[in-house]
Amino acid sequence: MPKSDLIAGIVLLVFGLAMLAVVIPTQTSEGGDATISPALLPQICSVGITGLAVLLTLRATGRLRRGIAAGVAVPAAEWWAMLAVVLAVGGAIALFVWVSPAVAAVLLIVGPMLYMGERRIWLLAGVPAVLLVGAWLLFYRVLGTAIV
Amino acid sequence: MDSFLPVLESAFSPGNLAWILFGVTLGYLVGALPGLGKGTATAVAIPLTFYLSPLAAIAFLVGIAKGSTAGSAVSAILLNTPGEPSSTPTAMAGYPLARAGKAQKALKMGLFASVIGDLFSTIVLILVAQELAEYALGIGPVELTGILAFSMVFIAGLSGRSMIKGLIAGLFGILVSCVGLEVETGSPRLTFGMIEVYDGLPLIPVAIGMLALSEMMIQIGQRQRLQEEADLLRGSGKREDRIVTLGDWRRSARAILRGCLIGTGVGILPGLGASVGSFLSYGAERKASGRGADFEETGAIEGVAAAESADNAVVPASFVPLFAIGIPGSVIAAILIGAFTIQGITPGPLLFLENRDLILGVYMSMIAASLFLLLIGYFGQNVFARIVRISPALVMPIVVFLCCLGAYLQGGGAFGIGVMVVFGVIGFFAKKYDFSFVTFLIGFVIGPSFELSLRQTLGLVTDVSELLDHPVALAFAALAVFGVWRLTVLQRRQREAIVGD
Repeated sequence: MPKSDLIAGIVLLVFGLAMLAVVIPTQTSEGGDATISPALLPQICSVGITGLAVLLTLRATGRLRRGIAAGVAVPAAEWWAMLAVVLAVGGAIALFVWVSPAVAAVLLIVGPMLYMGERRIWLLAGVPAVLLVGAWLLFYRVLGTAIV
Repeated sequence: MDSFLPVLESAFSPGNLAWILFGVTLGYLVGALPGLGKGTATAVAIPLTFYLSPLAAIAFLVGIAKGSTAGSAVSAILLNTPGEPSSTPTAMAGYPLARAGKAQKALKMGLFASVIGDLFSTIVLILVAQELAEYALGIGPVELTGILAFSMVFIAGLSGRSMIKGLIAGLFGILVSCVGLEVETGSPRLTFGMIEVYDGLPLIPVAIGMLALSEMMIQIGQRQRLQEEADLLRGSGKREDRIVTLGDWRRSARAILRGCLIGTGVGILPGLGASVGSFLSYGAERKASGRGADFEETGAIEGVAAAESADNAVVPASFVPLFAIGIPGSVIAAILIGAFTIQGITPGPLLFLENRDLILGVYMSMIAASLFLLLIGYFGQNVFARIVRISPALVMPIVVFLCCLGAYLQGGGAFGIGVMVVFGVIGFFAKKYDFSFVTFLIGFVIGPSFELSLRQTLGLVTDVSELLDHPVALAFAALAVFGVWRLTVLQRRQREAIVGD
């Protein structure tokens, strides 16, 4: 039975407490002569998130006890797709920094195409070529700017 | 009149009209593709606006929003796959018509209803926004704090199925907006020593991540279903399928009028969104027709008209709170705030004083966009009907590339892409687990205004009794509390009904 609400509630509770106990005190100054502390709004939000996370956790626990689903189940294919996109974009950033922007862009386009089952060579070569030339024409020539 | 002529000239200049036409076409094209909606279309188009004049930039984005809203009916009717949730009623009433060989008729009626709804709502925007802005000019920080708090509660309660999750998303959005230099002291806050975020997290990479990249993650995960739906599509060659008869107009006129009114009303209220408008209008027409389940079994041209007129009326009406008060009532409005900011313009009541020519130009461009919508949709219908057959394996990677391009340009290079990925993952979780990403984005956008007005309020009001001098603020605060209670009760009843079923 899906219990994602329970997990989300606990994660948000830990997040809220960590914000209040560690992050806000170390990442926010006292404010000196300021009339109102710079930490005020982050504290309000964190207190709100923590309180609501407690409610979410309690509600999810109650539902699970009554045998009712508390949340939804995400199909494995969507988790893999998320990971694939993160890896493709992460890989493209690495290639952009250490190799070249063009190679990065090719990975960014061809990676998801391959992941989605595209195997036609002319498309795997043609789509990145058209997109890169199109972007170059649009941004360099039409709009008159430099991307890199 | 003399001051009006230059505005007319700039709004109807060939360059501006070309950008509107490009925006409507691009929007229609993206909207027609299964799984892609107006949020994605507008977010990925932002980088194109960096180098445009303010009028052309806003007109272009408005064109995309209008085009993609209308275009989403194409995939809804032909594939039973709405480009976005607000087109679901269109699919319910239109897909059976397509199966019965009346796809062209349904598409045409959908287009006509879309244009009428859009134009009606644009006229209401023109008539209402300035009046509201003049009133809003008299609003002080105490009242603004109350209005913003009420808006957040309202949006949190209505944009998802859970008030608790909606409020968490809104508070998280405001919290994320706190990153950067603090407004009063100028000291770094929640920056972890990264100077890239001293100006705050860039809106566009955050918006592209939350809206477009997260959607691509989900759509790529559903690639098999999308591919199967695209493969199933077959065209129809019957002549009568391409005609909207006088009888169709008679059946649909009342539905369109009601849809215009419902969509405009829903659009003006922050947070309700196009889905509420199209479902309300469709439900009202279904009930009024007395046909019941027959609507979904055999299809109903008036059902398509009801849903599309309301869906398209929501977009221009949602600009009323944006232009008049500076509160984005929808995702499109939140993205438009980013576009306004890029151009150095702050939406809100002063817009009508400081940028009157721009706003008049935007109004005229919106009317032009409505007319282009009719032309593009009518003459390009066959082309768009073919576009929905394009393999998702080609479309999704292109959108991912455009997402990265947009984040790179507006987010300070590779850092912007990194921000986009982080918020893409957050958006993925938000969408899958029903934490309203709309509320998050709106919280993120109004966060700085809320903090400023809250600080001013705390400076002005030193004693609780002084709040009695601000009845408007008290009224909105009371409405916020009432909203939390009422919406929570309604959502609990809905859940119990679902469990009961």
